[in-house]
Amino acid sequence: MESKSCVHIRQEWDIVGARQLGRERAKEIGFGTVDQARIATAISELARNIYLYAGTGKICFTIIDDLEHKGLQIIAKDDGPGIRDISQVMEDGYSTSGGLGAGLPGVKRLMDYFDVISEVNKGTEIRTAKWVR
Amino acid sequence: MNINLNVELVEQGTTLHLVLSGEIDAYTAPKLKEELLPLTKRAGASIIVDLENVNYMDSTGLGVFISALKSTKEHGSELKLVQLQDRVRRLFEITSLDSIISIDSTVRGGN
Amino acid sequence: METIRLDLENYRNLLKEYLVTKDETALYRAEQFSKLSMQHNVSPEEIVHVHIEALKELYPDLPEAVDDSLNFLLEAMISYGLAYQEFTTLRQKQSELKSEISVAARMQETLLSTVKPDIRGLEIGAISVAANQMSGDYYHFVADKDDDTLGIAIADVIGKGIPAALAMSMIKYSMDSFPESQRNPSAILENLNRVVERNVDPSMFITMFYGLYNPNNETFSYASAGHEPGFYYHSRKNEFEEIEARGLVLGATEQAKYKQYERKIKKDDCIILLTDGVTECRLGDRFIERDEILEVIQTYIDLPAQEAVEQVYKHFERLQDFHFRDDFTLIIIRKNV
Repeated sequence: MESKSCVHIRQEWDIVGARQLGRERAKEIGFGTVDQARIATAISELARNIYLYAGTGKICFTIIDDLEHKGLQIIAKDDGPGIRDISQVMEDGYSTSGGLGAGLPGVKRLMDYFDVISEVNKGTEIRTAKWVR
Repeated sequence: MNINLNVELVEQGTTLHLVLSGEIDAYTAPKLKEELLPLTKRAGASIIVDLENVNYMDSTGLGVFISALKSTKEHGSELKLVQLQDRVRRLFEITSLDSIISIDSTVRGGN
Repeated sequence: METIRLDLENYRNLLKEYLVTKDETALYRAEQFSKLSMQHNVSPEEIVHVHIEALKELYPDLPEAVDDSLNFLLEAMISYGLAYQEFTTLRQKQSELKSEISVAARMQETLLSTVKPDIRGLEIGAISVAANQMSGDYYHFVADKDDDTLGIAIADVIGKGIPAALAMSMIKYSMDSFPESQRNPSAILENLNRVVERNVDPSMFITMFYGLYNPNNETFSYASAGHEPGFYYHSRKNEFEEIEARGLVLGATEQAKYKQYERKIKKDDCIILLTDGVTECRLGDRFIERDEILEVIQTYIDLPAQEAVEQVYKHFERLQDFHFRDDFTLIIIRKNV
């Protein structure tokens, strides 16, 4: 069973929309309140990255429920400037020292699966997922 | 402790006056380097660094002036330091850098 | 989840006890619970969650607004939890870096170590203390067994810390590679200048004083590459005289020449060499003047040379609240025959 839904990020207000949709999906599949809050925070970080660095993009949610996994997959995709040095962005202290929040390392901590594909001047795609325990 | 350095640039044709005030140490030297080095890359420029209001400089500051001097030779510009306070002047004398960097010999205040 | 369930039981009992007794003991246990949670990397939002669950079990008819407000608090705690986890990782990284630097510092110590030689008629005292873990100061003694001469190098790299220490190791190895016949102070500085000019960043430079003592004619010959002037101590007059030696710092230009000076050393007189960590001692906003430094050295000059340099160091250490801003090196050489 798979169902996909997306939120377009064009303005700051859309971050809230993405959180809300993500939280609903998370609740549907059976995440507890703590995990719901974590997922919402991860969505905020991803959506804010799109809003701040790429301008526009989208965040899509897929509920995964097969024999091996049950959980929520989140894909954040934009056609922005891309990330030149992914290792640097993934380093602790890189975004927090500038007061920008938890950044991508924070998202990685909040979720169970995390992967980034980025090409300079083409865009960035971040895939992440959390499993119901 | 005052760890500030103010840098002010006044351009008059090819003459560039860089007026410094404050302290030049390990914390402020990068700022000085950032301001001074690009000026030395302008061929034909004559850079005058006014140190009247610099009351402290350590060896990091000397390092900036050495690299600026090397850069003037490479790019065909000139560097001159004026109005040095006694403590700062002594540094240039001990290190004999006054033999390779052009330093205004008039006593501070006399100009 | 199993351990948190277990903790929930514990937490619920503690909370219940506290709500009934309002007792300090329960609060003390809460503190222990909090510490234990940190040890097990339990994040703040999980504690808030445990609190909500415990409260709901104790008060099944909890007003909805209270439940909601606690969930609101849980949301607000998420970022704190993340920051805490990040802090833990960074702290671990920091201790890794620290131990790496101390390994490097020990290596540097071994690389730059020098033995105070026994030279006929000379008494030597030397101390060098780094402001940080790694030093940009350096001193070295070279004793020649054939003709009894003593070479002394004292140097200071601009800046401090790791870059300075790396440059210093380079200097030491260049000096080691010079032929043994090459013991002329001015020639040594000229060779080193070329090495530094070619191999270091344009804004980096090194100051060095190099001296050679020959006990056969009691002569000290020396040259300076922009180094902080040392002193000659006249014991009979109890007076200090600045050792004058002009010369450009190493690394500023490709072709630098160094003038060599010479002087006879009389019985009981001293040669005092230092780095600007000594003269750049700061007291609040004020600098210690060279005269004041001489006063301090004068106080201890009659002690055995090693004791004297240690006492001078202790004096300035105390004066600067036991925290030096720059590396500190002081050498006293006394001729006692």
